[in-house]
Amino acid sequence: MVAGMMNETYLLLAGGSLALGLGAGAVMHRSDYCLAGMFRDLFLFRRVDKLRTLVLLIVATMLLFEGARLLGLLPNYPFPLFYAPSAANIIGGMLFGVGMVLAGGCVVGTLYKMGAGSLISAVAFVGLIAGSAGYAEIFPFWSGFIRHTTFFPGKITLPQIIGVGPTVPVLLIAAAAGVLTLRWRRQGAFRRNLLIAGDLPAWQAALLLALIGLLSAVVIGLPLGITASYAKIAGWIEQLVLPGHVADSAFFRAVPLHYRHPLTGAELAGGSGPQFDAIAAIQFPLVAGIVFGSAISALLLGEWHLRRKIPGRQLISALAGGVVMGFASRMAPTCNVWHLMGGLPILAGSSLLFLGGLFPGAWGGGRLLTSLVLPRDASSKSPVRP
Amino acid sequence: MKTIEYDIRGQICPSTLLIALREFNIHQEALRDGAVRLRFLTDHRDCVATIPESARNMGYTAEVTREQGCYLIEVHGG
Repeated sequence: MVAGMMNETYLLLAGGSLALGLGAGAVMHRSDYCLAGMFRDLFLFRRVDKLRTLVLLIVATMLLFEGARLLGLLPNYPFPLFYAPSAANIIGGMLFGVGMVLAGGCVVGTLYKMGAGSLISAVAFVGLIAGSAGYAEIFPFWSGFIRHTTFFPGKITLPQIIGVGPTVPVLLIAAAAGVLTLRWRRQGAFRRNLLIAGDLPAWQAALLLALIGLLSAVVIGLPLGITASYAKIAGWIEQLVLPGHVADSAFFRAVPLHYRHPLTGAELAGGSGPQFDAIAAIQFPLVAGIVFGSAISALLLGEWHLRRKIPGRQLISALAGGVVMGFASRMAPTCNVWHLMGGLPILAGSSLLFLGGLFPGAWGGGRLLTSLVLPRDASSKSPVRP
Repeated sequence: MKTIEYDIRGQICPSTLLIALREFNIHQEALRDGAVRLRFLTDHRDCVATIPESARNMGYTAEVTREQGCYLIEVHGG
């Protein structure tokens, strides 16, 4: 009976995650909803239009999560795998910001762009796995650093830190953001000339992604997250070459996820090690869904093409960015999707610090990209067709 | 009118927009005099909006047409 319930739960996790991934991949492709680009373009082009839609996404998710919590649909609130804030969040966020700009997309941007045929993103994906493997080597040291720099032990969210319930802070923030959003709307900030077929306005993408995030929280029991699966892939590959090293690794042996599934009541556990567990059942289908959702969207629009003629400098940047991002997503822990779409809506202190690191990181990444990868004097190197 | 075509498909973001902006500046005078026309081939969905917007903000005319699996953005002095 217990085994049957577990099988049902795993099927629900895998099927639900695949469906959510397919939806998220298609939405992100149609809108080119690049989270990395939002932060990068703020500094490179003083462009804030898509960053405003991120505010919309976070606040919409905040209201949906709070509504679901009040209805008793989120029994694991605040979600598993969120910890008390520490200096690691801001350092990890900063490094992550550098990596995502160099890679040309964040952990999820890499997936939807790769699905649409981007060779650069496929290279960044390899880097993400390599970076996750690298982090395993510093895990014992970094765990100690996190322990020593934790600010409010036992307190995960801002309301917990200040000792109030989440409803009032959420409503206050939502009201302030609502006024801001209405002002932006009046200024025409969300209006855009749709120049291409199948285009989805970014504000609509934001609302659809907020809905997908809510479904993940209710059906899976966790917000959207994918980077532990990159560490698992790294573990599997490393195990082929160095099985003893992987077996002895504290990082690959750790099982940080423990929770009761909100719908079936099954007890679930998972970690970054190379074994099949709840994280594998959730994140691999989600990753596959985002890649295939984007690929299907691109194929339906006749836009799927593998581009092979990429400047070598850009490929190196994508690889390096992927490595830094993979490393930072374990250091932070975890990635921007987890913090922006899962942590900020519940006002997690760690996610606020991660966001604080992301801005200077994106600025630094932009400086590196424009000075080392895309030199200003490279007009002669532009791919000009005669 | 001289036509210069840039194949910037598949490149890392935001290379596409940066190359376009750089070429607008390099060919500023020729664009305004109507001596040159710039054509950008891109598969970057966001840039199909941002390149024409930037061109129009600089006073140029921009047109977008669909090509096989990508988009052609044509910019001229108008």
